[in-house]
Amino acid sequence: MNSIIEINNLKKIYSNGNHALNGININIEKGKFFGLLGPNGAGKTTTIGILTGLVNLTSGKIKVNGLDIIKDYKKTRKMIGLSPQEINLDVFFTIRELLIFQGGYYGLSIKESKKRVDKILFDLGLEEKAYSKARELSGGMKRRVQIAKALIHDPEIIILDEPTAGVDIELRHLLWDSLREMNEKHDKTLLLTTHYIEEAENLCDEVAIIDDGKIIAQGSPKDLIANDGESLINITVDNWDSSLLPNFTSNFQDNIVTIKSKNSDKDTPYIINKITDANISINKLDIRKANLEDVFIKLTGKKLTDD
Amino acid sequence: MINKSFYTLVYREVWRFLVLYKQTIMPGIITAALYMVIFGEALGSRIKLENNIDYIIFIIPGLTMMSVIGQSFANSSSSIMQAKYLKFIDDYLIAPVSGFELSMSFIIGAILRGVINGILIILTCALFTSFTIEHYFLSLFFLIVVSCAFGAIGVIVGIVSKTWDSVGVWGTFVFMPLSMLGGVFWSIDMLPESWAYIALMNPLYWMINGLRYSMLGISEISITFSIIISLLFAIIFTILASIMFSKGYKIKS
Ligand SMILES: Nc1ncnc2c1ncn2[C@@H]1O[C@H](COP(=O)(O)OP(=O)(O)OP(=O)(O)O)[C@@H](O)[C@H]1O
Ligand SMILES: [Mg+2]
Repeated sequence: MNSIIEINNLKKIYSNGNHALNGININIEKGKFFGLLGPNGAGKTTTIGILTGLVNLTSGKIKVNGLDIIKDYKKTRKMIGLSPQEINLDVFFTIRELLIFQGGYYGLSIKESKKRVDKILFDLGLEEKAYSKARELSGGMKRRVQIAKALIHDPEIIILDEPTAGVDIELRHLLWDSLREMNEKHDKTLLLTTHYIEEAENLCDEVAIIDDGKIIAQGSPKDLIANDGESLINITVDNWDSSLLPNFTSNFQDNIVTIKSKNSDKDTPYIINKITDANISINKLDIRKANLEDVFIKLTGKKLTDD
Repeated sequence: MINKSFYTLVYREVWRFLVLYKQTIMPGIITAALYMVIFGEALGSRIKLENNIDYIIFIIPGLTMMSVIGQSFANSSSSIMQAKYLKFIDDYLIAPVSGFELSMSFIIGAILRGVINGILIILTCALFTSFTIEHYFLSLFFLIVVSCAFGAIGVIVGIVSKTWDSVGVWGTFVFMPLSMLGGVFWSIDMLPESWAYIALMNPLYWMINGLRYSMLGISEISITFSIIISLLFAIIFTILASIMFSKGYKIKS
C-alpha cells in the first residue's frame, strides 16, 4: 500500500444535472507515471478538478499521501502542481512575473521563486520569452508556460491535463522527453490525462481508461492490451490450407491470411514456421499490433477518437 | 510568521494598481482639484454654513470618501472580473490558501488603493485651501474601514457579476447616488426634515460624516455610531466575501 493518490467512489453531479463521474476508484502508486485515458467528456478534467480543489465533489473521498483533500487542503495542494487543460494566463504581467507569483502561492519566497522560474524557463526553452506577455506567445509556447506552472514549487505530484493538446509533433516529443525525465530522474509521480493513445502507451506505466464517468479498465498498457487487445497478423501467400492453424482464428481473402493474435511477438514465429513447413511461400508479412484504441473499442464498442 | 502564499497574493494585487496609476490614482486627484476650483473659487463663497466653516473645506471629507468608495470597489471588482474572464482565477482557487486569505488579499489591495487615493486627495485639497486635521488616527481609521467595506463589496460583486456592465451599474446606480445623497455637499441642517430622516438611513451618510468629524471636528451626528456602522459594514461584507471564496459560490462548479 504505497498509494500517493487514492480516489474512492468519487461521484460528481454538476449543478445542471450532468452526471460527470459515476463512482470512480483510482489508486496511484508513488513514483508512477499514470495516465487517465478517455474520450471527450469522459470526466478526466472533472476528476482532476476535484483533486486540486477547483470542483466541489458530490460524494466520495480522495486522499493524497494519506491526507484528505478537503480537510487538509493546504497540505495536499502544496504537494500537487497542476498544468490546466485550458490556457489561463494573465495578460497583465510578463511570463516570468506570472511564474514567480505562482511559486509564491505555493510558499516560495520571491527570491527562491525567481531562481526556480529562471531554471524552468530555460529547461522548457522559454527563456527568450521570459519578459513577454502571454498575448505575444504562440499556442505551443503558452502550453509550455502552463506546464511550467505545475513545476515551479517542485511538487511531488505533477498533474497535466492534456499537456500536448494542440502542439506540433516535434514539441510533443520534446515534452514527452521532459515528462519522462521528471518521472525517472526526479522521482515525481505524474498524472496525465490524454486522448492520444500513443501518448498513453509511450509514457505511462499504468493507465486507467475512463468513459462516461466510469473507469472501465486499469493496468499497464501492456497488460491491458494483452487482456483485451488483438493484433492482426496479415500474411500474403499464393495458396492456403485452412486446417494449418487450428488454434487461431483466421480468415483468407484475396491471397491474404489474416490471423488474430493476443500476443503477436510470440505467435508470429510459430505461425511462420507452420506455413513454411507446409511449403507455402510467404510473399509479404504485415503485423498491425493491438493498441489501447483496440482495448477501448472492445470494452465500449466505440472509437476513442473521432478521426 | 507571514504566510508567503498570502503575501504573494497581496503583492500581486498592489502591484497591479500601482502600475496602472494613471487609471487608479490620477483621476481621483484631478477630480478633487476640479471640485476645489469650482466650489472654492466659483460657488463656494455663495454658500453659507451655520458653523462658520468655509464651504470648500466642508466638502473635502465628502469628496475624499466618494473617491475612496469608488476606488476600493473598482480595485477588487475589476481584479476579480479580469481573473474570471481570463480564467486565471483557477490558479487562485487551487492554491494552498483559505477562502479568507483569498478574499483578504483582494480586500487589502482595495484598502491600499482606497487609502492612497484618500490621502492624495486630501493633500491635493490642501494645495487649494488651508485646514488642519483634527484627529489623524480617526481619519485614517475611516479611510481604512470604508475601503475595506467597499473592497469586500467589490469582491462579492466581482464574484456574482457575469459582465463588466453589471459591475459598472453598481458604481453609477448605487454608490454614486448614495454618496451624493450621503452628504458630500450638504449638512443635514440644510435639508427639510423628511429628507433629513431619509439621509440618516443611508450608511454612506454615516461614513462621510465620520470622516468629516475626524478631519474637521464638525459633528452633526454621533461619532460612535459612525464608527460602529462603518466597522459593521467592513466586517459583515468581509465575512460574506470570505465565505463565498471558501464555498466557491459561483466560481467553483
Ligand atoms: N462546469 C460544468 N457544468 C456542467 N457540466 C460540466 C461542467 N464541466 C464539465 N461538465 C460535463 O461533465 C462531463 C465531463 O467533463 P470533463 O470536462 O471532465 O471531460 P474530459 O474527460 O476532461 O473531456 P475532454 O477530453 O473534452 O477535456 C461532460 O459531460 C461535461 O459536459
Ligand atoms: Mg478535459
